[in-house]
Amino acid sequence: MTGHEAQEQFVALLRERFGVAEIPDGNYPLIDARHHFELARVLKEEFDYRIYSFVVASHHLATADANNDGADVEAAHYEVATGVRCVGAPAHLASWRVRIELDRAIPTLFPLFAGADWQEREQYDLVGVRFDGHPDLRRLMMPEDWEGHPLRKDYAIDTACSPWR
Amino acid sequence: MAVDESQRTYDHPLYQQIERIPGVSVALGNIDQLLTWGSANSLWIFPMATSCCGIEFMAASASGVDLDRMGSIPRGTPRQCDVMVVAGTITVKMAPRVKKLWDQMPEPKWCVAMGSCAISGDFYRDIYSVIPGIDTFIPVDVYVPGCPPNPEALMHGLLRLQEKIRMSREGKLTQEELRPESPPNLIRPAIGRLQDVERDPLTNQEQTDSAGGLGLGDTLNLSQIRQLRPEPELAEDGDGESTR
Repeated sequence: MTGHEAQEQFVALLRERFGVAEIPDGNYPLIDARHHFELARVLKEEFDYRIYSFVVASHHLATADANNDGADVEAAHYEVATGVRCVGAPAHLASWRVRIELDRAIPTLFPLFAGADWQEREQYDLVGVRFDGHPDLRRLMMPEDWEGHPLRKDYAIDTACSPWR
Repeated sequence: MAVDESQRTYDHPLYQQIERIPGVSVALGNIDQLLTWGSANSLWIFPMATSCCGIEFMAASASGVDLDRMGSIPRGTPRQCDVMVVAGTITVKMAPRVKKLWDQMPEPKWCVAMGSCAISGDFYRDIYSVIPGIDTFIPVDVYVPGCPPNPEALMHGLLRLQEKIRMSREGKLTQEELRPESPPNLIRPAIGRLQDVERDPLTNQEQTDSAGGLGLGDTLNLSQIRQLRPEPELAEDGDGESTR
């Protein structure tokens, strides 16, 4: 199987079993948060995607309708992109995005991939997204007594950090 | 063979400090000058290397520039060192550790800030986790600018430090030049928890078990392993998991 075929197989899986209508060009497909764990499980157990490649969370501020022209106004949310990779040729990377509100948590992939432990802790530490069911969701990089999550968009660059600034 | 004393030259720096009495094997000298010479020329360096400046420090200690010529030697423990060379960016999390290591060094001690990051934070200065220069919590004696400074610059800094030690012992420096003090309220005191004491031991065990590459709750039998990486050396009767 070539990498192209593997991608087509992944897209077909998303369309048929997870009801993803739109596969954007040049970005990861957006799936429903309820399907996050199930998709990872299916990929791992049925399609042999055994390597947990990455998880990257990003924080998005609410978009304002500045011109009052009826543009779509989005609430503040997190986007969590996850990628898993299959073993052996063609080593295809299956990746998708999940969008959740700020007060909600995304299910952890720790029961499937042990490597998700520290990667999810890092995203929690820096961005603040919570992973539901993670056994040990503490800060990883910042000091334990750090306040706030520094990679959020609403974290001001001159936030006081006693005694340094 | 007789030695003609009048033809003998003394170019070692030590001989500049003492006065020989001709004809007898007795030398007169000032103990203070001897101590000054000794303390300036036996600097043991503690390399507090956190990033790329550390590579330049290694190059400076290696045979090309060879800091050992100046009587210095890099030493991995702060308790026997005289100079701390802070080479690299110091973060908010690292600063208490640097301070702790500095406090472990016996007096007299000196600090060299090597590179822009240690001096001022450089272009990382405004990042949330970077401290703007180590002189906010450690008194710095010599600043070696550069990003990173080349080994010769570090050697020059060390020579300037020796000059400073000599001048301070001879009383030529004012008090502030001697040991630039930093405001005490800038010292961040507490170091947080160092061990994962609250972690569930069962989780640790599961991760240790799965560290062989099999994944959590996962079982691969021998034929599957062979399929993934065909190795004829794999023992037929061996336990597949434990031999990996």
